[in-house]
Amino acid sequence: MVRVSLACAAVLALVVSCTPRDVPAQDSATPSSSTAKTFKPIDPTSAVCWDRNTLETAKLLDSIATEYNATQPPVPIKLEYLGNYGDIFRKVSLSIQARELPATAVGYEPMTSEYIVAGAALPLDDYIADPSAGLKADELADFYPSVLETNKFPQFENRMYSFPFCKSVLMMYYNKRVLREAGFDAPPQTWDEFLAQCRAIKSKTGKQAYAINVDCSTIEGFIYSMGGEVVNGSVSTFDQPNVLAAFKLFDTLVKEGLAYQAPPGTYDDREAFAHDRTAFFFRPSSHRPDAAALMAATPDDWGMTRIPQSDPNNPRTALYGPNICVFRTTDAHQKAAWGFIKHFTSPKVSVRWAIATGYLPIRKSAANDPDMQAFWEKWPQDRAAFDCLAFGKSQPNVVGWQQVRTLVERALTAVISGLKTPEQATADLKKEADKALAAG
Amino acid sequence: MSALVRFVDAGLEGLDIILDRFHRRQGVIGALLLSPSLIILGVFAFFPLLYAIYISLFDTRRGIYNGAGNYLRAFNEPEFWRSVKVTFYYAIGTVPLSLAISFTIAWLLFRIVFARSFFRTLYFLPYVTSAVASATVWRALLRPQSGLINLLLINIGIEPQKWLIEPRGVLNILTDGMIPPAIGPSLALCCIIAFDIWHASGFMIVVFLAGLSSIPKQLEEGARLDGASTWQVIRHVSLPLLSPTIFFLLIVSAIKSFQSFNSFYALVSAPGDDTQNLIVYIYAQFYQNQRIGYGAAVAVLMCAAIVLLTIVQWRFVGRKVHYE
Amino acid sequence: MRPRIGTYALLIAGSLVSVFPFVWMLTTSLKTSREASAPEIDLLPQTLQWANYTNALYAAPFGVYFYNTLIVAFTVMTSVVITSLLAGYAFARLEFRGRNVMFAFLLATMMVPFEVTLIPNFLLVRDLGWYNTYAALIVPWCASAFSIFLVRQSFLALPNDFFEAARVDGCGHLRFLTWIAAPLVKPSLVTIALFSFLGSYNSLIWPIVVTSSEDMRLIQYGLTIFGSETGVQTNLLMCASTIVILPTVALYFLTQRTFLDSALNAGIKG
Repeated sequence: MVRVSLACAAVLALVVSCTPRDVPAQDSATPSSSTAKTFKPIDPTSAVCWDRNTLETAKLLDSIATEYNATQPPVPIKLEYLGNYGDIFRKVSLSIQARELPATAVGYEPMTSEYIVAGAALPLDDYIADPSAGLKADELADFYPSVLETNKFPQFENRMYSFPFCKSVLMMYYNKRVLREAGFDAPPQTWDEFLAQCRAIKSKTGKQAYAINVDCSTIEGFIYSMGGEVVNGSVSTFDQPNVLAAFKLFDTLVKEGLAYQAPPGTYDDREAFAHDRTAFFFRPSSHRPDAAALMAATPDDWGMTRIPQSDPNNPRTALYGPNICVFRTTDAHQKAAWGFIKHFTSPKVSVRWAIATGYLPIRKSAANDPDMQAFWEKWPQDRAAFDCLAFGKSQPNVVGWQQVRTLVERALTAVISGLKTPEQATADLKKEADKALAAG
Repeated sequence: MSALVRFVDAGLEGLDIILDRFHRRQGVIGALLLSPSLIILGVFAFFPLLYAIYISLFDTRRGIYNGAGNYLRAFNEPEFWRSVKVTFYYAIGTVPLSLAISFTIAWLLFRIVFARSFFRTLYFLPYVTSAVASATVWRALLRPQSGLINLLLINIGIEPQKWLIEPRGVLNILTDGMIPPAIGPSLALCCIIAFDIWHASGFMIVVFLAGLSSIPKQLEEGARLDGASTWQVIRHVSLPLLSPTIFFLLIVSAIKSFQSFNSFYALVSAPGDDTQNLIVYIYAQFYQNQRIGYGAAVAVLMCAAIVLLTIVQWRFVGRKVHYE
Repeated sequence: MRPRIGTYALLIAGSLVSVFPFVWMLTTSLKTSREASAPEIDLLPQTLQWANYTNALYAAPFGVYFYNTLIVAFTVMTSVVITSLLAGYAFARLEFRGRNVMFAFLLATMMVPFEVTLIPNFLLVRDLGWYNTYAALIVPWCASAFSIFLVRQSFLALPNDFFEAARVDGCGHLRFLTWIAAPLVKPSLVTIALFSFLGSYNSLIWPIVVTSSEDMRLIQYGLTIFGSETGVQTNLLMCASTIVILPTVALYFLTQRTFLDSALNAGIKG
């Protein structure tokens, strides 16, 4: 027995002493003082990009990369597809500890902030400002500010640690057949109209108007459109009356039997809608192709429009979609990665990508592109979504927001299931969210 | 074929000669036989445990030594305790029931002669059917709107339920609100338990069948000739002879129930307070909140709990196991 | 006691529950995407969409994935059977100091959550230069505490005098183990072979983490491509799932026919 414990102690001592490199996770770095490090490129001869597209869109992305590689970058771009954003995040996190990273990877704001904290993400400001390889002032002005803004991280000197990749905005999808049944020929413009239509649908058709997909960004969109905010600096603002108004709206909808919760992780909201069970669902505009496929038999019987507003003259909605960030590897890999991003977001490519995928072109000049216009002729809904880019607002890019997202979704679930009143739920949410944000 | 057999046999004989040098020291032979397994498991499973203990002592976000800080934090975190509660409800709900149900089915399957491979395969399907497919079907059956189960309930005059998205406790629902909703497992958790019993049955039946086919038939036949009833045969012959298998399944399924992760994600996608077990909680710390040190501390606590539970089972149940 | 109609009735009723999702998977694979998304569970499609299968199969290099998966799964399976047989025998039938401590150590390895093992194992595999090789997919899974435990239990369940008799005959450990003891626990060996095969066959996260190129991916990765950020092509996913699952079902069916029938009783004479 003594021998066994001695052996264990020896092994433990060995573990503790001989793994300075493994010393916990991301050594160093509090949010304000992230220390830069450099990492070995995972593939010395090509700039690997981790992405999650599949099937046709992956093929298109590959062909865009091939095009870019023809321009003789320092190292060629190589796309590697991993299951989903969770898989990408996990693999980047692991690779950070192995000190070996791809040149670039796609991801959401909370993912990027973790990469910054770990000292792995590269600020792009110098590349953007570069006179030859960068973007000129008029090119930069061609991007919608909302789309760029979310890539500047306020806790990290407001530097640009990522660049917009695939963008969409929260939209309201409406089923014209169900609306007609209830005697409406246009979708609601304001939240008051929305509630009135829901009530009329219920009383005239017996149907529930809306299946709620509980998703933090959707809730943010509701809050924005009611004139509210979710965060101010590093403090949440869930105590605002506008936030309470959003939660109360959900509460009213459910209590009056006008809406029900769709099980999370499913597309039940969209499917019920496609089979005329409900009149509305709220999802980002990138769902338009899938919705169109479901509604194939009846292309004219549905639409996608701006979400209702409290003040239609000052509209707001939530901006969705991943960005792409570059890692600190070698100069050549970084240059190649930035060059690829610049190529991908150039007006022509951006339009081609938008037409093939249903994401939005992120440049204002796309509005004048003949291909884009022809496409919008066919899909006017997408034009409506494009117009929302001007006032879309992304999720906060502060450290700790990923945790807040879960809290927000749980708070709304508690309201919908009747466990908490909207007042209780938002008050608790405010406390918990601030705790999560303070912990960083 | 026989050439191959002879070749293998010759090889084994050679190795046996080496082993026989140590015939007085079984420890050496044991070490040799165990070495492939112990090396692989030591490197890829036990070392990570030590690693987890090590990093659990650090605040990994700030890269500083934190002593017992992560452990203290866990004890003061209500969310941690809620996950502990969910984990225990889940273990208590799944382990005994799935053992009982699977044994019954395996016992029936073992009796039959006609189409036995066919039936055995049918009962194996839950274990291999893709998680996505089975979760999709279960979710569809339990859909609050137009789900088959709710339609049946409505038909027999019972109020439809929200099943997988119902965070209120089953006791609250059954007693019509007499018991507060936060007490006991939620209805959603009970649905996940049912799903897991279904899924695990595919696995357990296979193991039970393997155990049953190791029981010498003569023993059961002898008992029958002595006029024992079916129940008596099960009680006094089959169960005692199966006890090593049952003990194995008890230990393994208890460990597995602590580590259940896929069923939770597949069925509820975004686990709420009432459906977040320790593993889901650890996962969130690792890959959503990036608190690796804290997540490791929770993992170590969980391992300690499983170890304790296993020791208790070994002491109290292990004694009753009947080995030849 | 002969099995009665009642036994079959019970088994048929129970099998409906266990089979339903599988049947749904089959029928959904033949639906249009609109049918596959209907809020009700309609089992049968209007017309059978056989083209789904070709669409699904051409969507990714499934042949490559399948080939890799078979290599990995068979190697892991064989190794697990061998390592578990040796270790299970040692734990059950040899007396030596530290045996119980080592067995406890073994059980402890079952208790470590996968997410915790991921970080050190990934770092180790990289340091060994195994990134994007079969070694990374195979070696860490070549021993299994679960399997060793099951084999140990089976050996313990066998009569003691039986082992002693064989040892008296002067048969060496390995020959005895291979030719006499192993056949006696064949049901358990088939079981661990099956589960270790399935373990590799169904693994998803570890292979994604330790491989990078398309030609090293395994079959479960192939199933993820039918999901996008905005939805899942359920009908195509079910086609691919069906094709992926059928070999495992066939394998199980065959093991039931050839291995388990009356395997044992011939061997033991009281």
